[in-house]
Amino acid sequence: MGEIKPAMQNQDLQFQDTVFLQGQEQQSIIQRRITEWLILARIQFTIIREAWVWIFIMACMFPLTTLLFLKFFTVDPTPAVMTRIITGNMLFGLIVMGLNSMAQEISWQKHQGHFTYYSSLPIAKINFIFANLLRGLIMSVPSFIILAMIGQLAYGIQFHYSWGLVPVLLLTVFSVVGVGVLIGFWSPSHQLTNMLVQALMMFVSFLTPVMVDMNQLPTILQWFSYIFPTTYAADAMREVLISGWSPSVAWNTLVLLLFSLISIVLILKKVDWRVEQ
Amino acid sequence: MKLIYQLEDVNKTYKKGKVVANQNISFDVQQGEILGLLGPNGAGKSTLIKQMVGHLAPTSGTVCYKGTSVQTQTKRVAQEVAYYSQEPHALTSLKTWEALYFTGRLRGLTKEYAVKQTEELLERFGMQDLRHKLLKNVSGGQKRLIGIGTCLIGFSPVMILDEPTNELDPKKRRLVWDLIQERNRQGVTIILVTHNVLEAEQVVDRVAVVNHGKLLAIDHVSVLKQRVDQRMKLEITTSLGESDYVCQSLSALGHWTQTGENRIRALIEKQNASYAIDVLTNQHLPIEEYSLVPPNLEDVYFHIDDEQDRPAKAEVV
Repeated sequence: MGEIKPAMQNQDLQFQDTVFLQGQEQQSIIQRRITEWLILARIQFTIIREAWVWIFIMACMFPLTTLLFLKFFTVDPTPAVMTRIITGNMLFGLIVMGLNSMAQEISWQKHQGHFTYYSSLPIAKINFIFANLLRGLIMSVPSFIILAMIGQLAYGIQFHYSWGLVPVLLLTVFSVVGVGVLIGFWSPSHQLTNMLVQALMMFVSFLTPVMVDMNQLPTILQWFSYIFPTTYAADAMREVLISGWSPSVAWNTLVLLLFSLISIVLILKKVDWRVEQ
Repeated sequence: MKLIYQLEDVNKTYKKGKVVANQNISFDVQQGEILGLLGPNGAGKSTLIKQMVGHLAPTSGTVCYKGTSVQTQTKRVAQEVAYYSQEPHALTSLKTWEALYFTGRLRGLTKEYAVKQTEELLERFGMQDLRHKLLKNVSGGQKRLIGIGTCLIGFSPVMILDEPTNELDPKKRRLVWDLIQERNRQGVTIILVTHNVLEAEQVVDRVAVVNHGKLLAIDHVSVLKQRVDQRMKLEITTSLGESDYVCQSLSALGHWTQTGENRIRALIEKQNASYAIDVLTNQHLPIEEYSLVPPNLEDVYFHIDDEQDRPAKAEVV
């Protein structure tokens, strides 16, 4: 091995170590992780900052179309059917933005090499995941609320608003966005992800008990329905909006919590963002 | 002097060994040095540095950072090694100041320090007026500068830069080389991949020449230059379409390489220099101009590469 250049030999390397610590924040690990998450969330927010109008239109367009179509198509619907149509379309909006768009966006970032920037920084993967989940939440919640309001007006019914709606709404969004984020992180190729999420979006929205009742589906589709969080989300949303918090809502909310945790654990354990094999 | 990196018999293959990206690469990187990785496109340089930053696992062999395998301490490597990649920028939706400031904060800088360094870097880049412009709306060169800035912000003890001067105009290239040298004077160990051999020669301490996935040579610039110190570089511009004829006519002088449509180059023995000039002036060859100069690092690189090119090549990425 050759010698290092003379100018370097004269330097005090211990002094250099103190140079490298200049300006470093002296924080506990928890404070550090919170700061990190806030910064990552701000970066994620900038992605929607420029195009929020289009994101909002996109999030509302599909479900609003089906909501109005079903309004024209159904003759004298019962309150139960009307509630199912409205909550189904609220979930459809969530599936469009939280599952479809998030999966495609994260997959695009991954295959464009954007993860290289993040994985080159000393940040925790869980913070990056939660920052993405927050973006999914910001992208989905407005259309969720707008559709609930338009649905009520269009069908002339009044929902029951209670504090129980908050955990149901948040866990509904997190469980669906979690699946989208998981698919995006896992994505072996962007084309495959595009096709997969488009197919999944249609299947979950129309062939599981989101828009229709479980009993209306063939048995095989009923079995499949149990593996999607939207089945439990639709049940919980409908019940909590009709009659408020109940043991059945609590059970469905717990299942949604499990779905959220499972998707986060799967991303953490199965998707290695730093090392490719 | 502390060792920063130790690479031992690093191999990276794809498609069950059919495609070879790196073959048995071994070398060390010492604290405080600037090591240049030179080689043509597809030589395996980027694959090698991805293994050094822990973004890619070697098929076999070990890449150690400060004595421990990179694979077992990717977080520490991310903490201490600033990496500038050729990948498109992830932060195009951010304003230029945000890209620098947020990166500084994610590297653990305090708000005050991150602001201070962001301002200093924007000033060095001459981009103060563009601070509120989105990164996607600035020029390619300015995007690159901000990308390099994200490596410079904070005080990482090691910097790995993959073609930092690519797509930059001469003024910005000079600025980047100056910044690299400044950081190195502060004790930062720098590993850089570059095609710009002539400019790198002024900056690097040691050079590693990589081609076809193999490490062809690694040494100090002056030592590598000794390989060709008994030679001179003869570069000829021929009349249009006459380069083959001139090559044939002068084949006795050395191995000729076509460097342009009507430009050829050879390293000739010093003792043959006067004979070469005599041939060029008296044989009425279709020549526009010629120059006979001592070889530089680029010529050393081509010389090493030419020597290796003669045996059969392996399939490389």
